[in-house]
Parts: sequence; C-alpha cells; structure tokens
Amino acid sequence: MFKKSPVIKIALTHLLAKKRQTIVAMLGVTFGIAIFIFQAGLMSGFQAYFIDETVNTTANIRIYNEAEKNRKSILAKLYADENKWVVVQNQKPKDELTKIKNGYQIIAALEKDPRVLGVSPFLGSQAIFKVGIAQIAGRVSGVDIIKENVLFDVSKNMRQGDITKLQTIPNGIILGDGLAELLGAKMNDNISITSPLGVTLEMKIVGINHSGLTEVDKSRAYINIRNAQKLLKVDGSYITDINIKLKDFNQAEALAKFYHQKFGFKTVDWKEANASVFSVFKIQNMVTYLIIVSILIVSGFGIFNILMMIIYEKMPDIAILKAIGYKDSDIKKIFLAESLIIGMLGGLLGLVIGFVLQKIVGSIKMDIKGFVSMEYLRFNSSIGFYIFAYFFGLLATTIAGYIPARKAAKMDAIDIIRSK
Amino acid sequence: MGNIIETKILSKSFHDPVEFQALKNINVSIKQGEFASIVGSSGSGKSTLLYVLSTLDTDYTGHIFFDGDDLSLKSKNDLAAIRNEKIGFVFQFHYLLTEFTVLENVCLPALKRAKYSEAEIRERAYQKLELLGLADQALKKANKLSGGQQQRVAIARALINEPKIIFGDEPTGNLDSKNSQNVFEIFKELKEKFNQSIVVVTHDQHFAERTDRIITLSDGEVISQ
Repeated sequence: MFKKSPVIKIALTHLLAKKRQTIVAMLGVTFGIAIFIFQAGLMSGFQAYFIDETVNTTANIRIYNEAEKNRKSILAKLYADENKWVVVQNQKPKDELTKIKNGYQIIAALEKDPRVLGVSPFLGSQAIFKVGIAQIAGRVSGVDIIKENVLFDVSKNMRQGDITKLQTIPNGIILGDGLAELLGAKMNDNISITSPLGVTLEMKIVGINHSGLTEVDKSRAYINIRNAQKLLKVDGSYITDINIKLKDFNQAEALAKFYHQKFGFKTVDWKEANASVFSVFKIQNMVTYLIIVSILIVSGFGIFNILMMIIYEKMPDIAILKAIGYKDSDIKKIFLAESLIIGMLGGLLGLVIGFVLQKIVGSIKMDIKGFVSMEYLRFNSSIGFYIFAYFFGLLATTIAGYIPARKAAKMDAIDIIRSK
Repeated sequence: MGNIIETKILSKSFHDPVEFQALKNINVSIKQGEFASIVGSSGSGKSTLLYVLSTLDTDYTGHIFFDGDDLSLKSKNDLAAIRNEKIGFVFQFHYLLTEFTVLENVCLPALKRAKYSEAEIRERAYQKLELLGLADQALKKANKLSGGQQQRVAIARALINEPKIIFGDEPTGNLDSKNSQNVFEIFKELKEKFNQSIVVVTHDQHFAERTDRIITLSDGEVISQ
C-alpha cells in the first residue's frame, strides 16, 4: 500500500528540484543534533568522571561527631518559662571533644554488616608543613592506610612510593603531588609538620599521591593515625570520623539514616556531601538541553520556509492531484514526508558528525587542571543521547512541516485553476 | 439511456468582493454517452457550472445527482473518491507533474485508486497512451513534450481509471487548430467506442457546433440546451 502510493516519490521530486534550499534546511537539523551529541556527551562524560572521582575520594557514608555550637545557657535551661527573659552575653562554646566514643567498637560492628565493603577510622588536623624555609598550611589525614586503601584506592593514585611504607616506617608521610610541588619536596626528603596545638613531628616522605581533585592534592597529606593522635595530644582510641564504603553506593542515603539512629552520631552520605556540585550539574544539563531546543527551533524555521516555497511553486500540482482524487490528507502527507525526509537525513548526518567530533576532540591531549585534572576530555557516548537527539530532531521537523502541510491540504483546487 | 448527471434548481453565489449570483436555478441533465459542450460569453458562468458539476466546487444550493447519488450529501473525502473513480479532467493547461515521466503522470490516478497492482496499472497506462498515439513517448519527462502531446497525455491520465464522464475546461484553449481538431477527434472516438460521457466548456464555436448538444449560458442562466 505504502509502496504503491506516489506520495514519497512526489515528495522526493520536490526536494530534488530545490537541492540547495533542501541541503541548507537539512544542515540546520544536522548542526543542532551534532552540537547536542557533542555537548551532552562532553557534559555527561565530565560529570561521570567527576562523580567517579568524588565517589573515590568521598566516603559513601561518613560518621562524625559535631560539637554543639548553639548551646543553651544554664540560665535559659533553668528558666525555660516563655514569660521570662534571660540574657547571657559572650557565651563561649564548651571545650567539647568531637571524639567518637567507642569508635573502634563501632568500626568492628560495621565491619560485620554485610552491606559494608570497608570501614576506615580517621583523625584529621590542620597542620603547617615545613621544608627548609618553605611553609604551607594544609591538612593531615591520620588513617589506617590499609583500610583507607580499601575505601579510596589510594595505591592506584600513587605517583611515587608505596602505601605500605606508611605502616612500616613509623614517621612516614604521603604528600599530595600538588603539595609536594609547592614545597619543593621530593621522595625520602624530611619534612616537619606542626599542629595547631604546637606539636611538631619530623616526618619522612614515603610517597607522592595524585587523587585527581586539584584542591585536595594541593593541601592533603596522609600520616598514620598514631602520629595524628600525637599531633593532637590525644589517646590511642581517639578518632573523629569513621568513613564507610558500601557494596552499593546508591544505598548510601538510606544507610546513613540507619547508622545515625543506630550509633547516635551524625552521618552524611556522599550525595549530601557534594550537594552543591550536583546542583551545578543540573544547571549544566539544563543549558545543554536549551541549546538543542533553540538550534532545532531555528532549523524548524528553515524547514518551514523551504516548504512554503515549494508549496507556492507547486500549486498547480496540488490542484491537479486534488482534481484526480487525491484527498486533503494525501496532500498533507506529501509535505509532511518532505519535512520528515529533511529531518531524518539531516538528523542521521548530525549523529555521525556528533560522534566523529567526540572522537576527534576526545583524542586531543588537553591536560586540564582545574576543578579536576585529566589528560583527555571524556565523552559519554551513550546510545540514549543519540536516540533522544534523533527523535527530538524528528519531532521538531514534523512540527515545522505540519503547518505548511496543513496549508497545502486546505488549498482550494478551483482557486488555483481559476487564477491560471 | 440513463442520466449520468442531473441538476435540480442549482444556484451559486459569490460573496466576495460583492454579492454576485453566478448560477441561477439551473436544471440540466447529461446522458451517459453524450458529448455536450457548454458555451457562453466570458462571465456567463460556464466554467463555474463545470466546476460545480465536477464536484470540485461544493459551495452551491440545490441538488446535483451524479450517477444516482445526491452530491450535496457527500463528504469531501467521498467526493475525492468519486472524482478518482468516475470522473476524468482535462483542463486548458495540461497540469502534468513536470518532473515525472509521461507514464508516471498517466498512472497517478490509478495509483491513488489502487484497484490494480502496479504492473497492471503500467500496462493499462501503456494501452491508454497507445490509444492516443503516445506509446513511444511514455518514458520521456512530461516537460519534454510539445503542447499538443502534453494535452493528449492529460487526456490519457483522465482515462486511466475508465471514468463515467470526462470534463473538459477549455481543453483546446491553448492549442492550435490542428491539435484542437485532434483533441476533438479523440473525444468523439471515446464517445463512440466506449460510450463515454463528455462535457466540455469552450468558447471555440467551431468545436461546439460539432458536439451532440450545446448548452448555452448567459448571466448564469441556461438560455438553450
């Protein structure tokens, strides 16, 4: 039935008679779709990479203890009556410990949880790093490096040295590569670190680490948790954080709530910890979709334009087709077919160009150092983008073609014949 | 012989730019196998009558019975189907699709009807072109033919679905006397061989005189038939 119908043939003849305009209209669609494929692939590739990196450097769940800052004064507690007015000025926070009580027992309990892949204790502190006269403020992370490695794959990111040295050498330290560069420090150099409490430790650099997140690499060093306890003058059971890696990181939100109820300490999951980043992603995605919408609207005008031209030129054809028994809907089909042909061919070309563009740009070495550092741009070439772009392109061309097609269908054969 | 077309108090008015009654209470009938011509000075309403009779124009009052059916009760799509199956058109200009071959042009109404397979339709189109002496031109592009040839292709196209009636709107208006004579002979042959009804609007007195019957219009009224 479809093959017999000359509709497609008439449509093709019309387009071939206007090659140049047809190609221009087609390129509009091509351009819109190619840009979308490129842009969406780039954005989502970058986001996936960033999420990978943050999942690797942020604990799925972090358990910590927070000092109560807005503590009610004793007087306010005593005179809780609303009609009394209590003013206590210049109240200072209590010298409370942010220690997690029974931290190691909690870790032991978590390690038995079947949903948990790894648990790592953490004790962090501000510190001044000194090599000769070079001084830089940063943070030391006191960790059990073997457990930490299970969580964050530290060994994969080692540029130099070996993580096990942190255990075997009592005063070992692993510096972030950015920090090492700023200090001018190399492997096996000595370095001194000073805590806010004034404790200074002489350390030896046993490794250089590169996490990929530029800010972290510029300011962080790993030391053994014992040394961190020495820096803060606390006992051997003192830890401030417990980091957890789950078998399925999508469960983080639910389990974070569960552990909060179970152990009574504050918990935060990785999504919450990076909420600001995810909101930036949302805006990025919105911009990407706005781009394809606006380009396709513009190419829609192109299609509208060429169809109107064809229709005015081919009015006698429309008249005779109607006279010999073609229905209005057949006429409509001819012009809809024309816009669909433009959309399908232009769209396919757009998909190919978008793909090739991704491959070309993805193979150029960029050495980006910013928010994250990576050597090559990473693209997400998921088939979903291609399907979405193609169908959205077809939708836009169909809408653009529908208005002229309806106009052609409504034309009166008699008016056209009389006016000749 | 039955009537293929019969009108009852058929009237039509134009409203734009001014109210103007183009057809006034027309009662005519065309028999099957009749070769009739409609004549009249320009503005007499002869073309308007043809468009109304041929279902192209539906803005009228009164009744038109076509092959027994009251056309005023038919939908637009029904009328399109009637035109496709039972009516052939030949206009002053050929209205061929210029980028198509002669054969494809002739096939167009039959492809729409889709009563026969594509191969059969081509076969039939060849027969019609043969009848009109154009079989050797079948695969040429329509715009490569002479004016007389193009008009004969248009007639072949009108014949492909073996319609009950052929309407001609000044079919010789654009042709020289030799080609006009040719077209007349073809119409006459169709009537005699196939008992085809033919209604032609013309201002060619010589052409009209040789038809079976002349319907004369003046100011929208039939003054003789």
